[in-house]
Amino acid sequence: MAKKNTPIHTVSQDMIERCLAKAVAQGDIVNFQFMFLPLSPLRDDNTEELSQDKYAYLLAEEFETSDKTYLEALGEIKRPDIKSFIQQQLQKKAGLPQLPASCVLQLADNAVRLRKYTSAAQAYELLRLRRRMQEEFFNQADAALEKGNIPKAVRGYRIATGLSYNYAAYPEPMPSVPNYQTKALLLHALYPQKPEDSVTTLPLEQQLKTAIEYLLLDGESASRLENLSQEVKIAFITELVNQIDPDWEEFRKRYRESQAIVKQLNTLLQSRESNGKNPDNNGLTLMEEIQAQQAEVDFEAIPELLLGRKIPNGEWWQYLKELAYVHPAAVFFVIRQFVSRDLEIILPPIIQGSPLVQALGLDTV
Amino acid sequence: MNDRGYVNYFEILELDHDCKPGEVRKNYKKKMKDLLVEISRSNLNQERRNHFLLDIARYNAAFYILRDNERREKYWQDRSTVIELEESWREASETNSNDAERLRRSYEAALRHFLSTYLEEYMLVAGRDVECVEASNWDVAHERHAGPILRHYRQRMHQEILERLPFYAVTKPKVDWEERTRTVANILAG
Repeated sequence: MAKKNTPIHTVSQDMIERCLAKAVAQGDIVNFQFMFLPLSPLRDDNTEELSQDKYAYLLAEEFETSDKTYLEALGEIKRPDIKSFIQQQLQKKAGLPQLPASCVLQLADNAVRLRKYTSAAQAYELLRLRRRMQEEFFNQADAALEKGNIPKAVRGYRIATGLSYNYAAYPEPMPSVPNYQTKALLLHALYPQKPEDSVTTLPLEQQLKTAIEYLLLDGESASRLENLSQEVKIAFITELVNQIDPDWEEFRKRYRESQAIVKQLNTLLQSRESNGKNPDNNGLTLMEEIQAQQAEVDFEAIPELLLGRKIPNGEWWQYLKELAYVHPAAVFFVIRQFVSRDLEIILPPIIQGSPLVQALGLDTV
Repeated sequence: MNDRGYVNYFEILELDHDCKPGEVRKNYKKKMKDLLVEISRSNLNQERRNHFLLDIARYNAAFYILRDNERREKYWQDRSTVIELEESWREASETNSNDAERLRRSYEAALRHFLSTYLEEYMLVAGRDVECVEASNWDVAHERHAGPILRHYRQRMHQEILERLPFYAVTKPKVDWEERTRTVANILAG
């Protein structure tokens, strides 16, 4: 058995540099930190070997080595002072190994470019630059907004909010992560009794405020946009939705198809009401319920259509949660509805004249 | 000596270090009464509610710790120890002394103990104290909501301290903010 601290195998300097350069180029703070730890396969005194298959992910592939970002990262790592510092840290026997700040900064910038915001937030936090970088992104985004460059402003806001940190996380602070699934459930927590109970039918100004808060996942950042005109807010939300959700167009088509079924449902509910029966109470006779079930309107097809797949025995909130994950903005344009005594679904309401709905292409055909 | 981030309960209740338990009680009750009046006059939103909840927890903890001589002494001693350790580590780190790593470990352990005890644990314990409950109307629901708020407060204090500590997980970055501004502009330009 090898004695502790005696070299077990040698890792070539070239391999070390290639691995570290890959982590920097890919903005991967987890891998970068791992390679300095005592159990790292880059250390000579470790039984873990870099040649093992399980560490293949650390090595840069042949096609990656010609990438400009990779070459820049490699150039930084090959700098004589950085190179000797890395060697020193990989041979350190006691105490916490230090990471070279210039490489971590490069890594953080690359992570932002690659939209790996949690990794970037962790790296900036290590460098104690996170808040100031976040502020810099906000300021430049606000400047772009003033010049009317909405796509740039949205990009800036997305990055800045992506760099947020959750200091209340247990057991340690960690980067904030998108949690649309939870927020969507909160938005639809109460069954709507009146139009203003539902986010879909809120007064426009309030709806825009809630939408920005929900999509940016941060009330504080959203408050920076409070003084914008309604037109700019709508343009901002539209751009934000398109940037967050590249498949929005697909959802839009399915939404419109589901609206056709909702129209049939509306007709049915209106006919029940005209007969003096409340559609969501126990007032239906058994015969009426059987008739409703046998009717051509397949209510359960509505949430399936909205989501694009069937959840076996899926409840409304399961559809809502998954919809929020796949198309975060979609939950803003659906409501909860009882269609029989036992069946509650989510469906697209028929809304006329809402500029936000029109801007996102969800208005009724 | 910079003691920012190490909660000072004497300052919170506006008391001198040699104050008597009677003065602690008097100041606590006055501050809590003023706070409850302010709460009753405010339009509460989520942010304000969290803010007030934290204020109540801070007053309760200050009263709970300072009214008992033994607890007060222990608190002040722990606070002084952690501040001294910070100074020692900072000096050792500036002179590249071999002791720096040992001092860092001792400081981190002392800091963790101080923050978790006086910025979290005692705040929750104080909320179950009969006198605090009577003065602040603190109940189980408050305690349930206070958990993440206190963790956030503790981390905020930790961040304030961290800003001035020597770098140890990474080397000290040399940041040119003009270059940073250009980098941000490049990233946003796509």
